[in-house]
Amino acid sequence: MDDTLQNLENELKRLPARKPSVHFMEELQRELGTVTPALNARPALGLARWRTWSWAAWSLVGAAAGLVIMAVVQPKPAGVVTKAAPEVPLASISPTLAPGVPANRYEPVKATSVLYDLNEEGLTTLPDRSEGRQLRYRFVDTYTWKNPTTNASLRWSVPRDEVRLVRANLD
Amino acid sequence: MESKHEQLNWQDWIEAHGPRLLLCARQWTRSLADAEDAMQEAFVRYWRHQRHLPGDPHALLVTSIRRAAIDMARREGRRIAREQRSEMSQEVDDQLFTKLPGEGDERRQEIEIALQQLPEEQREVLVLKIWQEFTFEQIAAALEIPANTAASRYRYALNALRKQLEPLCHG
Repeated sequence: MDDTLQNLENELKRLPARKPSVHFMEELQRELGTVTPALNARPALGLARWRTWSWAAWSLVGAAAGLVIMAVVQPKPAGVVTKAAPEVPLASISPTLAPGVPANRYEPVKATSVLYDLNEEGLTTLPDRSEGRQLRYRFVDTYTWKNPTTNASLRWSVPRDEVRLVRANLD
Repeated sequence: MESKHEQLNWQDWIEAHGPRLLLCARQWTRSLADAEDAMQEAFVRYWRHQRHLPGDPHALLVTSIRRAAIDMARREGRRIAREQRSEMSQEVDDQLFTKLPGEGDERRQEIEIALQQLPEEQREVLVLKIWQEFTFEQIAAALEIPANTAASRYRYALNALRKQLEPLCHG
């Protein structure tokens, strides 16, 4: 770099950039306040606890889904359709709190499964080579958690298809 | 490792580094008001959630400000409103630098005009190199370009500035 460029570079470096406006500082004041929280501080308690328990909650979702599926897959006589599965209380599968764990957390309180569509998709051959019918059930499964301390609740609904093969009734 | 800024409150931090960051933000926005908005968005996020992260906070903030500026340009509605607000103040007070103590203001104005006439891709490299004191590798990372490209854009920018400022250049 020649001298003129070097001089220009130095001259530019000496130029002080303007300060942010009063409006900007007021906006930051409004956003951040005057008290700066300690760095590396833990997030808000509720969030921290939710993060701590989120894996447990998702595990419970899996367990609840398993229970619902097991309840639905129970063999029933062909032609009998349940409109809505009974609510499954999940308190019984809630894990026991370890000593020292705060009680302010979400707990599973309800799981429901609603059948909203049923189609007969025609004749098929069953694994034992006998003749059968293929039925498609469409459900919406809903799981609910509740925080007893804050009374906040969380609800998760998922669609689910279930295909059943039933032996053809020749009577 | 703790950030060197951990002992500061946000007002001190802005006092020390705000002007240079605002100058950067101004390169990617249409007005000073836009630049302050982009900087506010990035700084609030940084101060609340990213201060404890390792690495250079300036590089993080510059990248964050640039993204905020790009997002802002996409939000047409906000931009129109902001333009109306900024048009009122732009003519009066949209300068990039403050006057050097003990010197006239003509040179500052010349440099600002020359800077505004540079192609955007050269100007942003120049600003990051001169006023953020980034290395070409840091500029390359912030702008997602090769380091060689950053270096050549810097040389082009300095040469173009020299050409425009020639009658007043020293040396």
